[in-house]
Amino acid sequence: MLSRIADALYWLDRYMERTDNILLILRTEYVLSLDEGLDRPHSWRPLLEHFTSASPFQVQERAYDTGRTLSFIVSDVSNQNSLRALLTRARENARGAQDQITKEVWEQVNQIYHTVHAEGFEEGLKDRDAIRLLDGMTEMTTLYRGVASNTMPRSLGWSFMNIGKHTERCMTTLDLTDRYLGEIEFDLSDSKDILYWRQLLLSLSGYELHLKTYRSAQHTRNVMDQVFFNKHFTRSLRYTLEKSGHYLRDITDAKPTPESEVLNRFFGRMHSRVRYGDIELTEQLSPDVFIRQMREDLIRFTNLLAQAFFSYA
Amino acid sequence: MIGGTLFQHYPPASALWDEMISGDDVRPEYLQTFDAMRQLLPEDLYQKDRRAAELFMSQGITFTVYSEDKGIERIFPFDMLPRIIRGSEWEVIERGIRQRLQALNMFLSDIYGEQLILKDSIIPAALISSCPQFTRQVHGIRPAHDIHVHIAGIDLIRDADGKFYVLEDNLRTPSGVSYMLENREVTKRLFPDLLSSNRVRMVGNYPLLLHQNLVSLATRQIANPVVVLMTPGVFNSAYYEHTFLARSMGIPLVEGRDLVVDNHKVYMKTTQGLRQVDVIYRRIDDEFLDPLGFRADSILGVPGLISAYRKGNVVLANAVGNGVADDKAVYAYVPDIIRYYLNQEPIIPNVPTFQLSDPDALKHVFDNIGSMVIKKTDQSGGYGMLMGNRATAEEVEAYQREVLADPRNFIAQPIIKLSTVPCFLDGRWQPRHVDLRPFALCGPDGINIVPGGLTRVALREGSLVVNSSQGGGSKDTWIIED
Repeated sequence: MLSRIADALYWLDRYMERTDNILLILRTEYVLSLDEGLDRPHSWRPLLEHFTSASPFQVQERAYDTGRTLSFIVSDVSNQNSLRALLTRARENARGAQDQITKEVWEQVNQIYHTVHAEGFEEGLKDRDAIRLLDGMTEMTTLYRGVASNTMPRSLGWSFMNIGKHTERCMTTLDLTDRYLGEIEFDLSDSKDILYWRQLLLSLSGYELHLKTYRSAQHTRNVMDQVFFNKHFTRSLRYTLEKSGHYLRDITDAKPTPESEVLNRFFGRMHSRVRYGDIELTEQLSPDVFIRQMREDLIRFTNLLAQAFFSYA
Repeated sequence: MIGGTLFQHYPPASALWDEMISGDDVRPEYLQTFDAMRQLLPEDLYQKDRRAAELFMSQGITFTVYSEDKGIERIFPFDMLPRIIRGSEWEVIERGIRQRLQALNMFLSDIYGEQLILKDSIIPAALISSCPQFTRQVHGIRPAHDIHVHIAGIDLIRDADGKFYVLEDNLRTPSGVSYMLENREVTKRLFPDLLSSNRVRMVGNYPLLLHQNLVSLATRQIANPVVVLMTPGVFNSAYYEHTFLARSMGIPLVEGRDLVVDNHKVYMKTTQGLRQVDVIYRRIDDEFLDPLGFRADSILGVPGLISAYRKGNVVLANAVGNGVADDKAVYAYVPDIIRYYLNQEPIIPNVPTFQLSDPDALKHVFDNIGSMVIKKTDQSGGYGMLMGNRATAEEVEAYQREVLADPRNFIAQPIIKLSTVPCFLDGRWQPRHVDLRPFALCGPDGINIVPGGLTRVALREGSLVVNSSQGGGSKDTWIIED
């Protein structure tokens, strides 16, 4: 497979995954904002700070303005992480790799792109029915996953796409957890109400699993166990890294090189921290240090991956 | 009126050749299609029109129009009523194109070799030496199997007398074949019954034939030679076609930056290291192929590619330097080229063409400018030409000055009244002018011409310019048994 195509497929799925993640977070926050009364307006500040490219001034302007925030996150291309900008970049990557993705995958990416660029698309955000628009988009990105899963051949391209998807997912889980833990100053003994954590879990599609798995009242520890170490939770660090490792083996086994050896060893070390770690060890290390180290390692991993497989320019 | 409200005024009385109607009668090859269309209500036709547009849009068969800094995606207009050609007529077209390509291949071998045709004064040497497409860098290179033109698109038109003429040869990087194939797929969705009941010949095997041809060109004796399609990139207007063909053939779509030349061999950069490339179906113009051989500022090409080509380590399809054979000034000599190399009369005639470097021809053209079209030899796509019957006196005068400054750069032809076909526009059927671009594939085993081609249609009323960049659209083309 051409290095350029591998790069494009990796980024195609990263952008699609990021779109999916932001949609989920946005929907959760939007529903929450409807619960809060006029006396205590919902603050969009954390979301704007963590998941957009808004300047401090732009954050200040929009922090309590739901309409402007929705529009900024969904359709404003001056925000590098707006859904419209992400889907444009996803489509550019799909276009560049069009001969290596199936016609069905291309048509699905293309359809989502045309939907968010259609005239009058933003109108759906202006009334109190924005949730319908967000649900419609979620349905399309979910369909993309299904179409890709059903039609893409299980060759190297598929492996690069999946590494992209799981890397992005892992990064989002880290970022989101960092934000929520930051609010309680990374103190795992702080027994926050489950209502506080519900928002994080809903943003990661993990609330139902949490209710079924964890029964004790140590909500903070339980939630951290789920998002870091639960092997059944599809957005936990452990699950996403195990999946990445699986697809990494596919591409490195195809033709081992010195670069891929370095990559494998590095990945192994990073993976072992969640594979053999637990909440006690994390607490000893301090959760903020754990999150910071994991994030740095993940970035280092993506750089090594690029050096080993995408160095074509 | 020949039947059906929507056909009420079709065709307006004129001396033009209409593909569907002759006098008061529908031509036999159109009978079934005409009957089917006559039974459809305007709402049905609008619905089919919309359906076709949706299909093109969802597949990304679009081009981008930039307005107010925003990119707006548009589709190339498609008209649902097919253009139909009888099998017996097609047989003549096929023979004519085969003959023409055989002669043009021999011409290219000669012109980049011994140049006997110049020594025998069949073509003036000055015409070739002044041709900007004559590529000295490839003089002496003999491509594999002596084939220069692997993929050709020959533009044909039908005049008022009902005869086909060759308007232009496209021997470099002819485009439009994906529209031929996609138009057929859309027609299958719109009129599934009509296709089978008319026994329309299949065009869908074009990518397989092309792939077979490309593989057969490889010079390395290995089981699976590496064939790639080289594109200038996603911003090229034909990028959709490049991806379509690469996908249909199952070959990698590469850009210049994906390739590297080492020791006169071409390699592509893969995730598993370098892999040697045997055949490049390049959709990139000669001048951008290799910054060391041609334009030094080209970032689309591959440094050293021409040296690998010269050594015979890689095959380029089409060969480099073909532009000299489809130059508009050389076009006038193609009948002589056919006579010289094949000792045959051309089966499909040329449109009469005047070289404006010839003073007598120049005078004749200027005296009859109202019935002439003057074209620049180095331009295409309907640009840079003067339609004598439509230009104002000032435009004619300005153009004449341009011609006098460099007559070699211009040719003139009598304005041909292209034939018309019905198009569904503004809620009724209206006649519009069309041409036809059949696609031919030349390989070691001979020349294949896919039964069909791209029918381009000038959608503006009265216009003779069919190019998509100037308001043209396209139609499916059916070849049916007589």
